Amino acid sequence: MEKQMLRITVNSDFHELYIKPKMLLVEVLRDELGLMGTKRGCNTGACHACTVILNGKTVKSCSILAIQADGAEVRTVEDLADGAELTPVQRSFLDHGAYQCGFCTSGMLLSATTLLTENPNPTVEQIKEGIHGNLCRCTGYNSIIRAVKAVAEGKYKEGGK
Amino acid sequence: MIRDFIYAKAKTLEEALDLIDRHIEDYKIICGGQSLLILMRQGLVAPEYLIDIKNVEELDYLNFEDKKGLRIGATTTHRTIELSPIIKGKYPVLTDMEKNLASIQTRNWGTIGGNLCHGDPAGDPGPVFMAMNGSVKLASKRKTRTLPLDEFFIDYFETALEEGELLCEVQLPPIPLRTAVAYEKFNIIKNDQGIVSVAAAITLESNGLGCKDARIVLGAAAPAPIRARDAEKMLIGEKISTNLLKKVAEKASEEADPVADIHASEEYRRSLVNALTKKMVKKAWNQARALAK
Amino acid sequence: MTKFNVINTPIHNVDGIAKVTGRAEYAFDVVLPQMLYGKILRSPYPHAKILNIDMTQAEALAGVKAVVTGKDTLGVKQGIWRRYKELCDEEILAREKVRYIGEPVAAVAAVDEDTAEEALDLIEVEYESLPAVFEPLEAIKEDAPLLHENAERNINVTRHIEWGDLDEAFKQADYVREDWFRCSSQAHVCMETHCAVASYTPEGKLTVWTSTQSHYYIKVLLADVLGLKENDIRVISRYTGGGFGSKFELDSAQFCSAVLSMKLCKPVKIVLSREEEFMATKRRTPMFYYLRSGVKKDGTFLVKEARVFTEGGAYTAMGATALYLTGFFQSFPYVWPSYQYDGYRVYTNTAPTSAMRGFGAPQATFCAETQIDLIAEELGIDRIDIRRKNAMYAGYEVPGQATIQSCGLIECLDKVEEWIKDRGKLPPHHGIGIAAYGFMSGGIFNWFNTPYAFSSAIIQVNVDGKVDLFIGSQDMGQGSNTTMAMICAEELGVRVEDIRLHMGDTDKCPVDLGAWGSRETLMQGNAVKMAAADVKRQIIEYAAAKMSPNIVYDLDIKDRWVHLIARPERGLSYFDVVKEAIRGKEGQPIVARGHYTPHGKGMISPAYSFGVQAVEAGVDPETGKVSLKNCVTAHDCGQVINPLGVQGQLEGAIAMAAGYGFTEDLPMDEGKILNPNLVDYKILRTTEMPETTVMEVETYEPEGPFGAKEAGEGLTNPTAGALANAVFQATGTSIKELPITPEKVFNALKEKEKIKK
Repeated sequence: MEKQMLRITVNSDFHELYIKPKMLLVEVLRDELGLMGTKRGCNTGACHACTVILNGKTVKSCSILAIQADGAEVRTVEDLADGAELTPVQRSFLDHGAYQCGFCTSGMLLSATTLLTENPNPTVEQIKEGIHGNLCRCTGYNSIIRAVKAVAEGKYKEGGK
Repeated sequence: MIRDFIYAKAKTLEEALDLIDRHIEDYKIICGGQSLLILMRQGLVAPEYLIDIKNVEELDYLNFEDKKGLRIGATTTHRTIELSPIIKGKYPVLTDMEKNLASIQTRNWGTIGGNLCHGDPAGDPGPVFMAMNGSVKLASKRKTRTLPLDEFFIDYFETALEEGELLCEVQLPPIPLRTAVAYEKFNIIKNDQGIVSVAAAITLESNGLGCKDARIVLGAAAPAPIRARDAEKMLIGEKISTNLLKKVAEKASEEADPVADIHASEEYRRSLVNALTKKMVKKAWNQARALAK
Repeated sequence: MTKFNVINTPIHNVDGIAKVTGRAEYAFDVVLPQMLYGKILRSPYPHAKILNIDMTQAEALAGVKAVVTGKDTLGVKQGIWRRYKELCDEEILAREKVRYIGEPVAAVAAVDEDTAEEALDLIEVEYESLPAVFEPLEAIKEDAPLLHENAERNINVTRHIEWGDLDEAFKQADYVREDWFRCSSQAHVCMETHCAVASYTPEGKLTVWTSTQSHYYIKVLLADVLGLKENDIRVISRYTGGGFGSKFELDSAQFCSAVLSMKLCKPVKIVLSREEEFMATKRRTPMFYYLRSGVKKDGTFLVKEARVFTEGGAYTAMGATALYLTGFFQSFPYVWPSYQYDGYRVYTNTAPTSAMRGFGAPQATFCAETQIDLIAEELGIDRIDIRRKNAMYAGYEVPGQATIQSCGLIECLDKVEEWIKDRGKLPPHHGIGIAAYGFMSGGIFNWFNTPYAFSSAIIQVNVDGKVDLFIGSQDMGQGSNTTMAMICAEELGVRVEDIRLHMGDTDKCPVDLGAWGSRETLMQGNAVKMAAADVKRQIIEYAAAKMSPNIVYDLDIKDRWVHLIARPERGLSYFDVVKEAIRGKEGQPIVARGHYTPHGKGMISPAYSFGVQAVEAGVDPETGKVSLKNCVTAHDCGQVINPLGVQGQLEGAIAMAAGYGFTEDLPMDEGKILNPNLVDYKILRTTEMPETTVMEVETYEPEGPFGAKEAGEGLTNPTAGALANAVFQATGTSIKELPITPEKVFNALKEKEKIKK
């Protein structure tokens, strides 16, 4: 089958790749670009571990053909920190122990970050809704909710990208 | 695993219809792909041609006019509908429905057209649109037609979409005076598809007491979303009462045709239809009454 | 209360930065040069003879490098109960017979995943279907099909525990009741599925990157089945994306990738799909439970008789331990003067049942606590009072089984009672249910037959004061890395940032049995503490010589300050001392070893955690739907080491155990799991979690490092029972079958209405 040209900006880097049209966005990110921070946890679009930000919106990278992201700007977890400078959400996660095995954490961070961008002062209910798609088996979510709330309450100064 | 396919991207509606016509033997349309890709990854769907309409911008719109009502383009995402102030003002039940649908990530990319064409009886928009007397505009290279949603859903994952047709638009008439629509699904985990769902639209008489018109739609309670027409008839001309609600809910549960699965038995599904019908008819009625004042 | 410098302070998890920046490399992420991708062909039949496997078409497919079957292996029947050969019954790649749907029969290595998957379709397996049996009570019948030749009536293992005088005690009882329960299965649902990258090289060495809870176990088991020497195998697992009991046995990804790699001398990666994960990895042991209890009318517990049949699935796995522990913890956390338990693990043609967080105790606690509430109701005794009356206490000896050294149970009961009182009147259709539990801090068992100490640690202090800590324990998210760093820093007298942790690599690290049975804090912690104490002693030796204090003065190190205990202002910087001490050791770094193996610690564990949990739930009478509002836990894990870790373990345990209680299930039809995906298998999301409150009850456990006991697993025990009791309080109906689905509650309410009428 004929390969197609994919032009995509990932974490501010522009890439031109020849890919099979059936390739999923998550496969381009991990297998072509070596960005392993984005994970996969299921085959039915349920777990959301593969969450990335596409043109400013969170999406499941396992449920999008890469070719559909032609011309798009994608951000993965690797794009949050600015060198050693972590974002407020990342720092809050550290302070609140808002992760355990860490496998869902990349997707969770991107959901939380986007939530706060769209709604800088969410209620606990809104936080629950904002990260609702992201499954976590380890934490029971409450530490993550506390971490996001702390950022919303202005306990962290800016940092990262 | 996904089987190889030939990929074609349409930028306009005309281009899309043309591509469909040319590859009519073996094609599938992808837009958000939130349902389709799962099927493709399991090898259940393997078209030769995949026609991508995600970039057909002319189908991405939300238009409201007082007289005509609401027109939603097929490639409009769930999230757009969810966040639309127009819809929150004029059709708040839609905002609620979208908020409870899947996840933000799914809603950011998945579209209303894709959802309806998937034909899942457990889908949320179908019953709600049916309760609001909605229609869909279907277009092919040769013709365009409009179909009431009542006639759109045929069977499990089977719609009235003919070969070569594309769903272009959802049309919702303006909500009549003294009318309210309520929708709820029953699930164990919030935002999961309903084990059963019920949408109820109640229109009150001009005196604000009796029921002038009623639509009760059952989701995930039959091979397609269905109107509980006998239950609806019982409401016409009546005043609300606990006894009436009980009878109507009972009738709706009889009209349901649910199938047992690992999540619930047939009997329990009927009980849920009963419970939800009671709740939704009451909710819609009370909301309509509040509007009438 | 002792003052600590490091432990019991919230700190960042030592793996935190890696995890929040997406840098943590899991086996799932490993990519090697020339790496191939493997897929496994699995049996569609629950019970069948393998007559023939034709691989020619698959081998001929372009891109396929190798196809292997059981015939390409040594055919070793392995199992984690290595000491007991009759319990080593699983070949992994079946050779003659398959015994469950999903059992591996062949594996393929190809240039990419799609090709490997295509090749599976081209492998032709000729099966002769055999009659199958799925329920233990059916499998135990005389005429049931036999899964294993040596297991008469499919009885795999039996267990018997007994003390006191059953018959006499029942005669003394004022009130006797018997109840039957059914405990369901449960899937671990680790976010990272089972996976392995195996790389065999011409030097005859095998390296396996894998997602595991015990790299040591995997190394030894691989040696057993591959005919290699243990130490020609290296297992690497720096980060594990969840375990919960599913990842310390040898699994199909590890085995098949190793076999393929040995054939090809190329790395082979196998990642199980989520479907395979549900279908063909091990799961919580379902149990049929019978309890008969006799009590005095004032609520004093006299005697309990328990009989359990567990659905074993096709192989032993860790099911034998679950069978034993459920019987042992059935008596917890109370004083039962007479007790008898008979457990039978029965082979069935279903996916093997094994270890899952709680290990038979959540099942035991659900049954025990449900029955206690019913007893209390019958006798008109307050349910906290009845528990308090019979609670275990420090010093209690479980006859012939265990000595309870530290126990804060009564204080836990008091705290929960207070919370319930403060909570006041509940809204209609709401109820608060409670459950009490006790759990082990690691097991004393050596069914694995290791000659090594159960945990070991090596510490090396370098010239810049940085401390290399080599441990064998595995962090699968429960935070053991951080706990060990904290214990080391506390004991040695430095800070956590001074510790350089080395773990997850069998080449570099000393042996530890792995993260299961909640053993790491106590066992690996003790080993770390021992090594740290030794290193500290060596440093102090040098400092004493340098400082020449009065011989009656002792030195200590606290927060990088080597000082006289009596005159803490007189001291030297730890960094300065270390710099010089190394020169005094012929230029060698300061090194020490530590180890721990429980000796003479009873039949189960050196120490037991305790707790009481209250769950407030609301029930919708129209639908039977249960919603969790609050979950309050008072628990005793001895001395808390890592408070953020403990809180995380509690909240995670609640989510998992609540799921066991009311949303998760693995329904089967003729041995086929009907919901092998995350849409139909329902785990809790943010919206189903209750508000959680932890109340620490501090005790001091002499067996544990700084008095610490386990926290991660015991907390999974009470929630299903507390939830069931909450539903009982809210509706007056007691549901004895897990999970407590809305349909079950709805039907129970209907029944109750009928009976009323």
